[in-house]
Amino acid sequence: MTKSAATHCPYCALQCAMTLTSTTAPTPATKPGPGPASQAPPLLEVTGRDFPTNRGGLCRKGWTSASLLNHPGRVTEPLLRGADGVHRPIGWDQALALVAEQVKAAQASYGADSVGVFGGGGLTNEKAYLLGKFARVALGTSRIDYNGRFCMSSAAAAGMRAFGVDRGLPFPLADIDDASTILILGSNVAETMPPFVQHLQGARDNGGLIVVDPRRSATAAFTADGGGLHLQPLPGTDLTLLLGISHVVIHEGLSDSVYLRERTSGYDAVARSVNSFWPERVQSLTGVPADLIRETARRLAAGASNGGSYILTGRGVEQHVDGTDTATAAINLSLLLGLPGSARSGYGTLTGQGNGQGGREHGQKADQLPGYRKITDPAARAHVAAVWGVPEESIPGPGLPAVKLLQSLGKPDGVRCLLVHASNIAVAAPDANSVIAGLRSLDFLVVCDFFMSETAAVADLVLPVLQWAEEEGTLTNLEGRVLRRRPAIKPPFGARSELWIMARLAEALEAPSTFSEYPEEVFEELRLASAGGLADYSGISYGMLDRGEAAYWPYPAGSTGTPRLFADSFAHADGRAVMTPVTPRRRASGPGDTSPAAVAGVISGTDSGTRSSGRSMTLITGRLLEHYQSGAQTRRVADLLAARPQATVQIHPAAAAGLGITEGAYVSVANDRGHVLCKAELSTAIRQETVFLPFHFPELESANRLTEAATDPISGMPEFKFNRVHVSLAAAPLDGVDRLPATMEAL
Amino acid sequence: MTEQIVVVGFGPVAARLVDELLPGVRTGHVSLTVIGEENEAAYNRVLIGSVGVGHTSADALALADAAALAADGVDVRLGVGVRRIDRPRQRVLLADGTDVHFDRLVLATGSRPVIPNLTGINPDPARPVLPHGVTALRDLRDAGQLRQAIEGKKRVVVLGGGVLGLEIALAAAEEGATVTVVHNGPFPLGRSIDRGGGSVLSASLRRCGVKVAGNARSTGVEHNGPNGEFSALLLADGSAIDGDLLVLSCGVRPRTELAEGAGLSTGTGILVDHQLKAHHEPHIFAIGDCAEVRCADKACAECRNATGPLGLVGPGWRQAEWLAEHLLLLAGADPAGAEAQAPLPQELPGVIVLKAKGLNLVVAGSNGAEPWDEEALTAGAGNGRERLQVAQWADPEHGRYVKMTTRGGVLEGLVAVGMPRTAAELVGLFERRAELPADRSLMLRLDGPDQLPDAGPLDPNGTVCRCAGVSGTVIRTAVEEGCTNVGEVSKATRAGTGCGGCHDDIKGIIERHFQAAAA
Repeated sequence: MTKSAATHCPYCALQCAMTLTSTTAPTPATKPGPGPASQAPPLLEVTGRDFPTNRGGLCRKGWTSASLLNHPGRVTEPLLRGADGVHRPIGWDQALALVAEQVKAAQASYGADSVGVFGGGGLTNEKAYLLGKFARVALGTSRIDYNGRFCMSSAAAAGMRAFGVDRGLPFPLADIDDASTILILGSNVAETMPPFVQHLQGARDNGGLIVVDPRRSATAAFTADGGGLHLQPLPGTDLTLLLGISHVVIHEGLSDSVYLRERTSGYDAVARSVNSFWPERVQSLTGVPADLIRETARRLAAGASNGGSYILTGRGVEQHVDGTDTATAAINLSLLLGLPGSARSGYGTLTGQGNGQGGREHGQKADQLPGYRKITDPAARAHVAAVWGVPEESIPGPGLPAVKLLQSLGKPDGVRCLLVHASNIAVAAPDANSVIAGLRSLDFLVVCDFFMSETAAVADLVLPVLQWAEEEGTLTNLEGRVLRRRPAIKPPFGARSELWIMARLAEALEAPSTFSEYPEEVFEELRLASAGGLADYSGISYGMLDRGEAAYWPYPAGSTGTPRLFADSFAHADGRAVMTPVTPRRRASGPGDTSPAAVAGVISGTDSGTRSSGRSMTLITGRLLEHYQSGAQTRRVADLLAARPQATVQIHPAAAAGLGITEGAYVSVANDRGHVLCKAELSTAIRQETVFLPFHFPELESANRLTEAATDPISGMPEFKFNRVHVSLAAAPLDGVDRLPATMEAL
Repeated sequence: MTEQIVVVGFGPVAARLVDELLPGVRTGHVSLTVIGEENEAAYNRVLIGSVGVGHTSADALALADAAALAADGVDVRLGVGVRRIDRPRQRVLLADGTDVHFDRLVLATGSRPVIPNLTGINPDPARPVLPHGVTALRDLRDAGQLRQAIEGKKRVVVLGGGVLGLEIALAAAEEGATVTVVHNGPFPLGRSIDRGGGSVLSASLRRCGVKVAGNARSTGVEHNGPNGEFSALLLADGSAIDGDLLVLSCGVRPRTELAEGAGLSTGTGILVDHQLKAHHEPHIFAIGDCAEVRCADKACAECRNATGPLGLVGPGWRQAEWLAEHLLLLAGADPAGAEAQAPLPQELPGVIVLKAKGLNLVVAGSNGAEPWDEEALTAGAGNGRERLQVAQWADPEHGRYVKMTTRGGVLEGLVAVGMPRTAAELVGLFERRAELPADRSLMLRLDGPDQLPDAGPLDPNGTVCRCAGVSGTVIRTAVEEGCTNVGEVSKATRAGTGCGGCHDDIKGIIERHFQAAAA
C-alpha cells in the first residue's frame, strides 16, 4: 500500500486532482463492528495537486473528504432489517445468498423485469459498465436506469440531436481561459465547483462574463464591477430568453453565414422559429430588459470574431420538462454564432456528478449499451453480445427512464425487487414522498452504500461498499478526459467493492459471460465493448493513464484521442450539425404557456395569490458550496455540517415582509406533494416571486418532496426547477428548540 | 374522415394557426388550404419598421415557408385574394376564378392602416391611393420606400403619436434621418399614458433627436416635390411641416369586408363568441386583428367590458393556438373533447412596450388617476372593493418616470420610462396579476446601483475564502504567526486554494498587517 496516492476528489465532475498521504500508521478497522464513538482524526491528509482543471485548488468538500473514511457512522458489515425494523449485521455469504434468492423468487413470480437496478453517476467507469452488464446478463432485466437521468439527460439528448455525440465539454476546460465572452446559463459554479472559477478570470477581466440565473448567485455576483452582465429571468423562461438572444443575432446580422452554410443544416426553420421572439416581447415574457438581451447577443458575436465566445449550460436550464429544448436553444444560438468546433469558441454543458460523463456512456441508461451505443441498434447489440459472449437476443430491449422506473416500484407489472448503487433516491428523486412510498412497497430492497443514507434506511439489506480512497478505477471528467482513481488506504474489514459483489451475485445466479472483480480487467473488457462506439475507449489503458497521458475520448485503438471534437465535422452522417427549431410548449399549467392568464395561473392559480395563511410562489432548487447532492456524505463531515447544518429557504425581504416572515423564522413551504419546514434566509439576491431551497437535506427539509415527477418527453428529465409552492410563516418545531439535523441524530 | 379547413389570410396569426394544425394534416385528419393576398408567405409584420430603417433584413422576417408547408401537404395559395364567401354552399371564391370547399373556415384577414382624412389623399378607406412620398408602412414594399428615404438622408415626417409611429421615428433618427413626429394632444401615446409619463416621453424623444410637434391637427398634404411627390404636411393653424416622406401611423382598422359581404355580424371587427366562432355560423371562425370577441349573451360580463380587437400580435397568437387545438379536436371527431377544452383565457389590457434603442418605455392598463385625485381613487370602490392606490416617481431631468396604479396591491396601470429593470418587473407583475411589495420603492431600486452585489466594507471576521470557508480572523492569525505571502497563507489555512478569487483580499490583510507593524 502506498503512503501517498495521486488521485482525484470523490465529489463533482471537475474531479480536482488531489494527493492523499497517510497521516499515521494506517490502521484501518481490522475487525467488524462499529467504529469509535467520537470521530477520530482523518487517516489521510488531503492536498491539492496541480492539474489543468483545478490547478492545485480544492474546495471545502475536497479538503475535508478524508474525514469520512473512518467516520463512526460508516456501514462496515452487511445489515439486514429485521421484522422489528432494526438493521442487524449478517455475514456476506448469507447476504449474497439472500439477494440471489429474492431475485429468483421475484423473477419466478413476476418475470425478469420485476427486478430493477438503479445506478449512479458517482460510480467508476468500471462499475457503471459492469452494472449495465450485470442487469442485462445476470439479471436479464431491462429495468436499469440511474440518477444521471436527473442530471445530464436533457443536455445529453440535445447534444446527441445537434452534434451526433454528447461529450459535456467537447474541448479541454483550459480552452476557455482566453475567451473574451462566456455565457453561463443555469450553473452556479462558484458554489458547485469553486476551482472552476479560475477559468472565468479572463472573461471577467474583459467584462465578458454573462450569467443567466433567477438568483444573484455567487457566480452571478462575479459579473459585478464590470465583470459582465447578469440576466435574471423568471424561473421557467430560459428557453424564451435564448430564443430572444438568437432573434437578435439573426436580425442584427450577427450570425456566421459561412459557417451556417458549410457546417449546419436546418437554419431556415430555426430562423423562422425565433422570428416571433423579438427582444421587447421576450422582455415581457422573461422579465429581462430588451437592451440586456441585445447586449448579450452583441457581446457573444463580438467574442466569436475576436478572442472567443463560449456558451455553457447547467442544470438550472436543463432540469425542466422542456430541458432538452432549452439546451437545444442554447446549442442553436452557439451554431448561429459559429462557435462549436471553432478553435477558440464553443458550446458545452457542465457535467455535475463525479463520473457523470463516464456514467452516461457505458450502459447504465435504460436505452443504452457500452460505448454510448443505442440498445435498439442491431449492430450495437451484435457487437456487445459478441464481447459478452451471449446470444444477441438474450440482451433485453430498452427499459424505463428513472422517473418511470421509480413510479413502477411495487406496482403490478412493476419492479418488486430493486438494487440501488451510488444513489440516495429517497432524497434526490423528484416527488420524494412518492419515491419513499414506492421503496417501502417493494418485496425486497438492496442498497449498496457506505453510510446509512435515507434510502439505505428503508432497505431490507444494506451492503457496505468502498470509498474513493480505498479503490482503483477510472472516471471521466467534465471534459471527457479519462482519469485514474487510486487507492491510498485499505478499506474497512467488512466493506467490499461493487465489482466483487456483482461477481459473487453473478456466480450465485449462474449467469453466463464473466464478471471480474478486478478493475483493470473490467476496464480491458470495457475497451473492447466500447470499441467502435461514440464513446470509444479502446485505445486507453491503465498503463497509459499511469504515465500521465491526457486521454480524451473518442480514443480508438491506434489513435491519440480527441481533446477537441468537431474541428472538422460533427458526428452525423453528413458531418453537419443539426439545428432543430424549438419553441416553448404550452402546458396545462407550466411556464411554457406564455399567455398572461396562464402565467397568472401558475403564480396565483387556485391558491389565488395572497391568503391570510400564505402565498403561492415559485420554488427553485440548487446546491450549496458546503454540500454535495443528497448530502449523504457531506452532512457527515463535521466542518461542512457546522457551516451549513440545515436547509434554509431563501426569500426576498419584500415577499417575506408581506408574510410576516423575518430572518431565521420558521417557514412552511408546501404543495400537494409534500411539505418542507425550515428557517428563512432573507436575501435580495432572489426574485420576489421565487423561493430557493437547497436539495441536500432529508425529511422535513427535503426540497424534492415538493418537486414534480413530470418529465421531459425526450430526455425523461424531471421538473426540478419550476414548481409551485405555498409559502407561509410557521410555528417553530418542538416549542422553539432547534431541531437537530436528522444526520446528527443518526450518528 | 378528412376535414377541409380553409384559412383566409396568411399573416403572423394565420401562420401560427397553420403551424399548429400541421399535426392534423400529417395524420390525414385535416386537409388544409391557406390563401394569402401578398406574394410572400407570412412574415413578421411587427418588424416592418425595422426593415424600413435597415435594422434587419426582409429575409429574416419569414414566419412560414410555403414550400415546406406544401411538402407537408398544405395547399398554399399566394398572391390571390378572396372574392367572396358562399356560406350556404360552404365555398370560398377566389379572385383567380377558382373556388375551394370548406368544412371550417378561419378568417385571419388582419387589419389595414387607417388613412386619415387629409386634403391631397384619396379618402377611399378600402383602396387608398397614396401619393408619392406618402406611405402607411404596412408591407415589405412600404419598408423599401422608408429605407430609400433614410439612405438618401431625407426628411421624414411621422403622422401619429402611437407606439408604431414612435418606433419608426426613433429608429429613423438613429439612422441619421431628420424626423418629426406630429401628434394631436399634449404628448404622444395620449390614449394610454398619463401626463407625467407623456411629458418625460416627449423630452426623451427630443433627446433622441426626434422633433415632436404636439397639439397639432393636420389638415392636408402638399405635394410640390419635383415629380409631384410629398413636400409638406399642412396643419390646422396654417403652418406646415416640410419633409420628403410622410409616414402615416394613425392606427389600424380590422378588415371585415369579406365577413360583411357574407352577412356575418361585425362591430369594430368580425364578431365572434368565446370559441372564436362567428355569430350564428358554426362553420366560420375569426382570429387576430380582424376578430372582435363579443358574444351574443347580453349578460356576459367579459364582453360588456370588452374594448374591441387589441391590435397586438400576442393575443392573436394565443387565439391561433387555442383555435388549432379546438379544430383538431373537431376534426378528430371528438366533440366531447372540444367541449371539454379549457376556455380561451380572457385577454388582459394590452401592454405597450416601445421597441427602440436608448428609450425604454412600457405602458399598460389605465393610468389616468393621479396620487392626490381623491375622486378618481375612490371611484368604483366600496362593497369590499378596495380603492385605487397610486405610487409615482418622476425625475424628468434624467428621463426617468414610474407610475404604479394598483388596487389591492395588484397593478391596474403602469408607466415606466427610462427604467428598464423596473419596467420588465412591473410588466411581469401586471401580467401575472401578482401583488406588489408594500414598499413600492423596491421596484425603483431594481434600476439602482444598490442592487449590485454587496460591495460594502469587509467584515473583519467575515468569510474571506468562501471555497475553503476561511475567515479573516484565521488569516490574520496566520499572518501574525509568520505567513508573509498568499502562498504561505494558503498553505497554512487553505484560504485561496479553491477558485482563487480571494487572493487580493488575502494580500490586503497581509499588507495591512505589515503596514501596522511598520507604524
